[in-house]
Amino acid sequence: MNEPLVQIAMTVDGAPLSARVRPRYLLSDFLRERAGAPGVHVACGHGVCGACTIVVDGVAVRACLMLAVQADGATVQTIASLPVLEGTVTEGTGLTPLQQAFRDHHALQCGYCTPGLLVSSAKFLAAHRAPTRAQILDHLNGHLCRCSGYANIIAAIESVLQ
Amino acid sequence: MMASRNFGQRTRRREDGPLLTGRGVYLADLIRPDMAAMRVIRSTEAHARITGIDFSAVANEPDCIGVLSAADLPQGIGLLPAADLVEGSAPAHHSVLARGVVRYVGEPVAVVLATDPYVAEDLAERMAIHYDTLPVVMDVDAGCRAAAPLLYPQFGSNIVHQTRQLVGDPDRAFVDAAITIDETFRFQRVSANSMETRGAIAALEPGSGRYLLHSSTQIPQILRKELARITGIGLESLRVIAPQVGGGFGAKEAIYPEEVLVLLALRRFGRATYWIEDRQEAFIASTHGREESIQLRAAVGADGVITAVEADCLSDIGAAYSFLSNTPGAAVASVRGPYRIPNFRSRARSVVTNKTPLNVYRGAGYPQATLAMERIMDLAAAAVGLDRAEIRRRNLLPPEVFPVDRGVSYPGCGAVIFDSGNFPALLESTLDAVGYDGFPLRRAQAAAEIPLGMGLSFVVEMTGGGGGEPARIRLLPDGRLQLLSGIVPIGQGSETTLAQILADHLGVALETIEVLTGDTDDSPDAPGTFASRGATMGGNAACRAGDVFIRQARQLTAELHRARLEDIIWKEGVLIDRTRPDEPLTLGNLLRQAAASGIEPLRALDAKGRYDDDAVSWSSACHAAVVAVDRATGIIRVVDYAVTHDCGRVANPLLVDGQIIGGAVQGLGQCLFEVNRYDEAGRPLSTGYMDYVLPTAATVPRFILRHIETPSPLNPLGMKGAGEAGCSGALAAIANAIADAVGSQVNVPNGSGPFTPDCVHSILRGAHQEETPA
Repeated sequence: MNEPLVQIAMTVDGAPLSARVRPRYLLSDFLRERAGAPGVHVACGHGVCGACTIVVDGVAVRACLMLAVQADGATVQTIASLPVLEGTVTEGTGLTPLQQAFRDHHALQCGYCTPGLLVSSAKFLAAHRAPTRAQILDHLNGHLCRCSGYANIIAAIESVLQ
Repeated sequence: MMASRNFGQRTRRREDGPLLTGRGVYLADLIRPDMAAMRVIRSTEAHARITGIDFSAVANEPDCIGVLSAADLPQGIGLLPAADLVEGSAPAHHSVLARGVVRYVGEPVAVVLATDPYVAEDLAERMAIHYDTLPVVMDVDAGCRAAAPLLYPQFGSNIVHQTRQLVGDPDRAFVDAAITIDETFRFQRVSANSMETRGAIAALEPGSGRYLLHSSTQIPQILRKELARITGIGLESLRVIAPQVGGGFGAKEAIYPEEVLVLLALRRFGRATYWIEDRQEAFIASTHGREESIQLRAAVGADGVITAVEADCLSDIGAAYSFLSNTPGAAVASVRGPYRIPNFRSRARSVVTNKTPLNVYRGAGYPQATLAMERIMDLAAAAVGLDRAEIRRRNLLPPEVFPVDRGVSYPGCGAVIFDSGNFPALLESTLDAVGYDGFPLRRAQAAAEIPLGMGLSFVVEMTGGGGGEPARIRLLPDGRLQLLSGIVPIGQGSETTLAQILADHLGVALETIEVLTGDTDDSPDAPGTFASRGATMGGNAACRAGDVFIRQARQLTAELHRARLEDIIWKEGVLIDRTRPDEPLTLGNLLRQAAASGIEPLRALDAKGRYDDDAVSWSSACHAAVVAVDRATGIIRVVDYAVTHDCGRVANPLLVDGQIIGGAVQGLGQCLFEVNRYDEAGRPLSTGYMDYVLPTAATVPRFILRHIETPSPLNPLGMKGAGEAGCSGALAAIANAIADAVGSQVNVPNGSGPFTPDCVHSILRGAHQEETPA
């Protein structure tokens, strides 16, 4: 099966990258297989669960709902860019405030949904300096987590605000 | 046990570092570009004869590495194991690939291997399977009828399993009862929905040439033995590793066709092969949970004391056994919960239908049994005019009677004997936590259009077991210790908990212990992670290995110092020769001294221990839920959720609370949202998250968690399991709260819902009609 290949270029977590890809190649697969970004986790593949959430040109998107060719020319940020997205890292631990809060509040168990949650939460907090609880819940409703029961995730995000 | 420096602390998890930074290594992270991608061609029919399999369109495609159907399987390869068949069970085993007949939509019929997954999917679409459809059996009632189509004509019936139990004289108790309550409770089919789907990779191990299978499984050690048996590969030639597992909940506690097929494909085509389940597949190819009905009859005295129950449990196990299908056994063995109920009779049957096979799912039979018994408690309270807490008080087993032999057995696990507990204390604690006494006032102040209700439930569940647990401790070259455990990390934080337990046992710093898990080379005889057994079994095994390690370290020291063994003592990770107490020896120094003396210390210090004493302990919990029912929208919100839990001594409250909350929200999901639906032709209607609704953050109640510790006398650490209690009590507490909110004990559908808005509206209409007869 000879599929045409398309030349694309993008920046992934700060590193420029160019490749020839099939037009139907999903961005999520491209990032995992060709861009060294295993933190992009695919859990549902149809845009509901949020595990594969990344930032493309400043906007949080589901990597499983985009084609790699659609990200041609884009700046892509995955979990590896969390320090950039949050703008700060704690010395010593190397963790961002959100990562530290997730750890302190036991807001992750199996960890599969965690990178996507952290990426979109970083974007959410950058856009909302003092969100209400309702806004936090509305934000988190875009993510499925089967282990934690969410309570500790909510607590972790609220703790970052204090 | 030495001082408790770590045991009982809210120690944060050592697992979190890589998981927070996207560097956790899950199954899909192990795929290499040169591996073949396997795609499974699944039955599109619920019940049919296969009349033809045509690979001709793809067999010569250059990107096609190979195809396999049942006819291509080596002689003798075919059936998957079921662990809980009892005497008299009909062996309705699942095939690796369907042979002649398919029995559910999703059943594997063939596989195709290609150079990449996109192409494999293309090729799969061009492989033609021809079917002659057969009549379907889509529910247990139809399946039990005399004229029902048979899934396995050779068995003569769709009922493939039956067990009965009897305690005391229930007939006499029913004759003497003031009131008899008789209700049937139905439980819908749900999916476990671990966020990481299943997957398996078969490759040859570099160097040894052994077969190396990675699988996202809870039971790598059992999987290895079963794969060796099924494929004929020698056990010593097969290594299985469970990497970081992205959630399990029971659906990864089975032996699946795809795990066999990647291995067979590797042998047949000589190429490392992987398979990753997609979400749509997960809904039809990963085991389902829960579907059954329980008819419960209770003999109730005028004083509210229940003198007998009779349970008849009918389980819809789908098209074949999975690894552990017989949850009705668990349901009936435990249906009396914490209540005395001296007389008991039960029957449990499993029926095959044209649906995905059923397996254990977090809590196995306990959520169902608990709901049935706890609904009966509320109905009995209403019938005799007692407060709902008071009727429970009158029936609870008192703390002084432990251990309690319940006179029944749990299939495969022997007699049901509650080892420890304090049920009245759990009840009073939870009533206090949820504000039971103040609730009537709170209810009166709630808006009339959004009535509040409160429900109670009580869980007593078997934890641990599964066979003995091994552990191994090695000394690392830098003087730190390495614990090798058979407990698989599925999110519960075992590495942290086991390190806490071992650090205290040895008296060493937490940081000096490294924990490795999930590799059959390290722990070939471990059972795996299930039945809330990880911390209790893994922890006690680590202590046993720790004792062996201390003895080995003392022996080595005595040898090096030409001292008597009894003069060498172990104190907090340091070896002291009593004749030279001012020259304590660290493990690092011991290593160096041994090396200088020509002894291979890493071989001398390799301690294996095993915990296989009385392995089953019984955890207990009292739950209370407060719900608000919006009469206009039909939406139910769980407002407050209180649990007092007794899992014996709590090793890490942070992680135990995480288990309880996560489990309770899974139960909430089943109660309010989740259901795997089929149409009448057996086509699955719930195959993605647009039509299978999971709980989200906005549905989460306020949690109030408490612990009462009655240590288990059966293991030195006094622990009992904690992984499933949250889920097991939630269905009952929420269903009871809904019944309470709508003010009608009789019109709530007798089961776990899901209580969707349309369901709530029909309940409200029913209640209204009852209040105002036409």
